[in-house]
Amino acid sequence: MAGSSDSYDSAAASHRALRSIKQELDRHPIVTETRGFPAGEFVEVVADIATERCGVDSDDSTLTVRWFAGESQDARPEFSFHYSDAKRDFGWHHHEQDHVEGWGHFQKRTGTSAYSYEAYTFPSENPAGLIWDVMANLSSRI
Amino acid sequence: MTDSAGVEAWKEQTTAFDRIQSVASAVSQPQPASHIAAEAHVAENTARDHLERLVELNVLLKSDQDGAALYAPDPLHTRIQMLRDLLEEHDRDGLIQLKTSLQSQIEDWQRQHDVESPSELRDRAAETETASQTREIRNTASDWELVLYRLSIVEDAIENYNTYSEDFQVSA
Repeated sequence: MAGSSDSYDSAAASHRALRSIKQELDRHPIVTETRGFPAGEFVEVVADIATERCGVDSDDSTLTVRWFAGESQDARPEFSFHYSDAKRDFGWHHHEQDHVEGWGHFQKRTGTSAYSYEAYTFPSENPAGLIWDVMANLSSRI
Repeated sequence: MTDSAGVEAWKEQTTAFDRIQSVASAVSQPQPASHIAAEAHVAENTARDHLERLVELNVLLKSDQDGAALYAPDPLHTRIQMLRDLLEEHDRDGLIQLKTSLQSQIEDWQRQHDVESPSELRDRAAETETASQTREIRNTASDWELVLYRLSIVEDAIENYNTYSEDFQVSA
């Protein structure tokens, strides 16, 4: 059993979070298909996004979600919601990093390789509702 | 307070019961009805009714802390749910192929980092030189733990394939 508490299993908690994320993405009107375990992905959820439903044409539009529930029951979750298509590459991440203060940040590829970063405060740390906030932000960004 | 665009869309596309189930199934520690209600944007009394129904359906476990009811996902339900996903997606050969792929991924990590387990890899995080190396090692250890958890259920599905697939056909 993963995790540090007797009754807490971090891998099972991460698994449940990813399953919940996939379920919510399947309900979202601009998502056409999702892939997660056991079909296609071992540790993340990938969603195909129909950007034309937001009035934008783009190829290979996907959102990749990773979620780690934390090593102990009280630890903060680490996660990322990252979008990419033929022209864009950006996402909302929550983990330790050196670019901005705090864990939450938005990162966007500005040139051929470098990302720019800005601080971002997530409204929740529960994956089910969070995915809908991210999708609303995503629709605005594209 | 006005709902954000994300919350508005969530409420439009789902029922209160859907949202309570999703939120409660993803909490990492037992939570009171008030917390789950707030996260799911559902009135607390409605949330309490839905949570009790989910306890009856063995989706959630209910515990008591100082007189207050706390709700958490039932680990057995999570496991059975995944067995069902596996049997919907794969036949026996497909499950064996999936097991091989998961094992290959684990062997790659073992070779790449020269360690046997994710906990051994986590210990390596203390010896790294940069913050990004530390993060990368911790991420790999987390992925490894998740793959081990999922592998254990795939092995269960293979070992009991005949029984589970008969049960699954009956209930499908």
